[in-house]
Amino acid sequence: MILGRQVIRSYALAIRLVLAALAASLADAPAWSADPDKVLRLEFYVAETGFDPAKVQDYYSFVVIEGICDSLLTYDYLARPAKLVPRAAEGLPEVRDQARTYVFKVKKGIYFASDPAFNGRKRELTAEDFVYSIKRFKDPVNHAPYESFIDGIVGLEELKKKAEKTGKFDYDRKVEGLQALDRYTLQIKLKDTDYTFPYVMALPNFAAVAREVIETYGDDTNAHPVGSGPYRLKEWVRSNKIVLEANPDFRGFVWNFEPGADPRDKEIVAAMQGKKMPQIGRVEISVIEEQQAAWLAFQNGELDILHLREQFAPIAIPGDKVNAQLAAAGVTLNRTTDPDLNYTYFNTTDPDFGGFAKEKIALRRAIFMSFDNAEYLRVIRKNQAVEAQYPIPPGVVGYDPGYRTVVPYDPVLANKLLDYFGYKRGGDGYRTWPDGRPLVMRYSSTPSSRDREIDELWQKSIDRIGIRVQIDKNKFPEELKQERACQLLSRTASWIADYPDGDDFMQLLYGPNSHQNNNACFQLPEWDRIYEKTRTLPPDSAERSRLYRQLWRMAEVQGVWKLHDTRYRNMLVQPQVIGYKKHPILLAEYMYYDLDNSRRRK
Amino acid sequence: MTAYIVRRIWQMIPTMLGVIVLVFLLFNWVGGDPAYVLAGKISSAEQIANIRRQLGVDQPYYVQLWIFIKQVLTGNFGASWSTNEPVSHILATRLGPSLTLLIPWLILSTLISIGLALAVAYVRASLTDRMVMITCTIGLSISILVYIIVFQYVFAYKLGWFPVQGWGDSFWQNLIVYASLPIIILLVVSIAPDLRLFRTFVLDEINQDYVRTGRAKGLSENRIMWVHVLRNASIPIITHVMATLPGLLIGAFLIERFFSIPGIGREVILAVERSDFPVIKAITVYVAAATMIFNLLADLMYKAVDPRVQLK
Amino acid sequence: MPFDIPHTVSPSLWALAWKRLRADRVAMVSLAIVALFVVQMILSGAGLIAKDWAKEAGVNYAPPTLQGPDAESTGPAAAAGGATTAQAAAEEPTELPVQDPLADALAAIRGETKKPGGTEAAAAEGQSVDPLADVMADIRAKGTKADVAEARAATLPLGGDKWGRDVLKKTIKGSETSIFVGLAAAVVATFLGTVFGAAAGYYGRWLDDFFNWFYSVFTAIPYLLLILAVAAVLQQKGIMTIVLILGLTGWTGVFRLIRGEYLKHKGREYVQAADAIGASNARRMFVHILPNVSHVVLVQLSILTVGFIKAEVILSFLGFGVPVDVVSWGSMLNEAQNELILGKWWQLAAAGTAMAVLVTAFSLFTDALRDALDPKLK
Repeated sequence: MILGRQVIRSYALAIRLVLAALAASLADAPAWSADPDKVLRLEFYVAETGFDPAKVQDYYSFVVIEGICDSLLTYDYLARPAKLVPRAAEGLPEVRDQARTYVFKVKKGIYFASDPAFNGRKRELTAEDFVYSIKRFKDPVNHAPYESFIDGIVGLEELKKKAEKTGKFDYDRKVEGLQALDRYTLQIKLKDTDYTFPYVMALPNFAAVAREVIETYGDDTNAHPVGSGPYRLKEWVRSNKIVLEANPDFRGFVWNFEPGADPRDKEIVAAMQGKKMPQIGRVEISVIEEQQAAWLAFQNGELDILHLREQFAPIAIPGDKVNAQLAAAGVTLNRTTDPDLNYTYFNTTDPDFGGFAKEKIALRRAIFMSFDNAEYLRVIRKNQAVEAQYPIPPGVVGYDPGYRTVVPYDPVLANKLLDYFGYKRGGDGYRTWPDGRPLVMRYSSTPSSRDREIDELWQKSIDRIGIRVQIDKNKFPEELKQERACQLLSRTASWIADYPDGDDFMQLLYGPNSHQNNNACFQLPEWDRIYEKTRTLPPDSAERSRLYRQLWRMAEVQGVWKLHDTRYRNMLVQPQVIGYKKHPILLAEYMYYDLDNSRRRK
Repeated sequence: MTAYIVRRIWQMIPTMLGVIVLVFLLFNWVGGDPAYVLAGKISSAEQIANIRRQLGVDQPYYVQLWIFIKQVLTGNFGASWSTNEPVSHILATRLGPSLTLLIPWLILSTLISIGLALAVAYVRASLTDRMVMITCTIGLSISILVYIIVFQYVFAYKLGWFPVQGWGDSFWQNLIVYASLPIIILLVVSIAPDLRLFRTFVLDEINQDYVRTGRAKGLSENRIMWVHVLRNASIPIITHVMATLPGLLIGAFLIERFFSIPGIGREVILAVERSDFPVIKAITVYVAAATMIFNLLADLMYKAVDPRVQLK
Repeated sequence: MPFDIPHTVSPSLWALAWKRLRADRVAMVSLAIVALFVVQMILSGAGLIAKDWAKEAGVNYAPPTLQGPDAESTGPAAAAGGATTAQAAAEEPTELPVQDPLADALAAIRGETKKPGGTEAAAAEGQSVDPLADVMADIRAKGTKADVAEARAATLPLGGDKWGRDVLKKTIKGSETSIFVGLAAAVVATFLGTVFGAAAGYYGRWLDDFFNWFYSVFTAIPYLLLILAVAAVLQQKGIMTIVLILGLTGWTGVFRLIRGEYLKHKGREYVQAADAIGASNARRMFVHILPNVSHVVLVQLSILTVGFIKAEVILSFLGFGVPVDVVSWGSMLNEAQNELILGKWWQLAAAGTAMAVLVTAFSLFTDALRDALDPKLK
């Protein structure tokens, strides 16, 4: 008896279904192929604090967090200047309403690493997770350092105020500016136009964490980071050692980046293209605070990559090439400029040195003109930095390589300027105020040996123009406190960009940011008006750049900041590391490169 | 005896109170405001106020002091302000590495110093004696900082006999591989002064009548030295060792820092830098308590070894 | 009587001690070395030697004369010496339509020197060109370098530090600071310890209890924390801060010893005799007893001086050392920390050796002094 057509069709259907299921399950199988024998050894110069993205703010903690948790966006590994690309999102966000509304689509099929908090279930990443993770920054209990980065989201402030009154944060309450339109769609509405918002979503701070995990671990979330990223935390000896291992539940990705203008990119692409990532199975990070110890450890082969401290640049990379001994061992130099800026400010609200009267401006400018940046670069930075003439460093949108300052190193002119405005020299050779009062400049620094070197240089410089300087030593927290209260007169500060846009630097001089990042407490209404205009312009517009130049010139002539330098980041790389290129913003590049154990020395 | 012990313990209370008040005053008054460090790059006055509220430093001083006293009584100092790690966990995990350094060092240092002291006292006033003493003096006139820098460079880096820095997982690996060079440096620094001191103690004894009696009786010089003199000299030696014990924990901070050893000394420096008051409080209180207890133990041992001693 | 009965005056403790010291060759050599350092300290303090220690006599990291100059230091960079931002200064500031408040002043400074046409043209448009452009060009033409590069030596007797300052002069000036800090702190600590110890030992009872309690509290707190706390309290800068930090925390050893001594002496006959003639307590403490314990005080002073000279090094490492315009052995060793790895060993050697010699000599002398004053201890 032949089988009825019905039966055959249903069998065929069944077989098709089975095959489809098989195919689907194979596609779902993780592409992860990390090799547990590939062990990467890195070092931290400063101890980490913890791994809860909402609670911490230090660079080194985020080197770990970025490898564990997924943010919506990230940066292209090879592209320079830094270019945003999606990470947990499917693509770059849709921008509406003149950059007031952003819509992100979360990739389907991303899963968190398994953790007891999930009770054995596979937990998929959804848009709601990002809503939760961002809300956490406004919960007073977390006192999140990066809270102000999402101040612009409509409706979050009200939630915070309610939490302060009731003592408990209502995570379930809907916020108008932060909504999951459906399982995978996230809509964010801002109060004002903000073109830099996508950068904020590329910060590892705003990566996704799971609500169940946070609620399970309560106060101890710093020790239990659970994310959907390529690594997870295996071992942690606080301030001493961190061990990451490849996350077996990670979806994996295929290495696929376009080479940029850098000639080395082609080698990297040739070595890495098409590989399934992450390749490195285990990352061991040691905290080594003493410069000598780290340098010696690298030379002994105990570390794979070393962030070369300035102190050792003269012997490690004389003439900007690795020395003979290192070259013979196959070590290479990977250099980039950090998006950072080092500057000395004057508090323009200081009763004696502040204000915008001509003689005060002259005094500040004269002091700035007495400082020799070239000597600073040579002796203190050991030539491992470039002089900064513009407040936006290279690699950051808005950088202007052609800008030249009106306040150069010129102690002769400085002396003449001071003479002109009546800062006469007294019997001891030191100048006084025009009315005869003794003139003493107060300069603050910490007791570290690096600050001491800079103190010495300032001491010499100000001596050249006959002014006495009083160096106040304070621990950093105390310094910060006084600075925020606009009580310090001057200090050499640095700022490192969180994202590669010039606005991150220009906002440092914005009046309303006094008592926060505007450490010069610089308030000039005219300046603020022009700055506010730049906020409404798209980042790469010529108009914005023009206004930035004007803004900076205004600050320069008023004697607010003395720019010093932008540092190089020199990474020494052992021969067994393949495909490494230091990214100016990315922290967890270890998910993008590889190790070849056969190339290790001895 | 029991009455004596009870009285001594009773006397510890006002001392401990003094320590608590002194530490509280010093660090609250001048310890730096942790809120600013925790607040980070961008913070408004409101955020700072929130942090201070969370940490409990916005309360009036007497409330904070009372909380501190309660913490001392219960032994629970809460969690670190900067990393949220429970303080008891910090102490428990950092004590191990510190002790792995200090206990072998203490044993070796004491034994070697005593042995050398006896040997040198044996040949007292000879050229050897003088040369050894002068070497000791030269040795202890070089700063420990210099020893660390030079030894790390020469023995770890140039010659490669030891790792430059670091700490491992297993106890034996730590003891034999990582702690070796640090312990050697500590020995060099400690044997010089100890040897001088113990030599004085031993010489004190050698001049006593009972030694002359022993020789007259026909006892061998060896027996006199190693049995009789040593026994008597051990009193001041033990007292000295016990008294310096509690200070050692924190005192090794330089070594811990240069060799990246996760010990208590290094933790203290970190805590002070970050104005992490709970950690500072806890360590100070525990070390103070340890100092007082060890002083008591030293006195008791003193009595046990020399029954003539009257305990007041 | 036609002849004198010979009688000898019983020599004092000090005379006897001095006689014994004189016989001890090692002690005499040590004393000579210490005296040498003290002389050097006085000369340096008076400004007769090492006055210009801060002058950058050499190139950066100038090697010692015996070693010979570095290869790089004979190149063009050294020749340039003080001349520095030649490049940056030579560049014209960017022209921007921003008014400079100092425009008039700068114009007045350079006097009636030429005005390039550009200014007029721009002014005609109602916008001011950056006015400093003229000034800069003009002054550059005249030459701006006030500190014209004096020839900076390629080598110095004991080498140079990172700024090119003479290490020999730094060592000499540093000894002045270090010895002063050590001595002054020792004086403070000894003074405090003696006064407290005398009061506690002499009066006894509740005063003794109080001081003992204070002593216990002080010694119970870990020394490091005490130092850091006191350093944080004393905000004022300068050497006196360090002296106070060390002095205020270092009195405990002296206290215990002096208290013991006073307890011992309190019951002695000569004190009772003093009481009988109506001497007040203060007089008894300081006029009668103190001279008899002064040898203990002196030895302690000596020991503390040595200890504090070494402690200053650690303080410098922790960042609580001397201010920037002062040099001490501690600050030199601190700088030298990272120099050894670069192959610049001379600052470490100079400061380390100088300190070792002084401390050794001082210690040996202290030992001899103690032996001479209290000969039972041999």
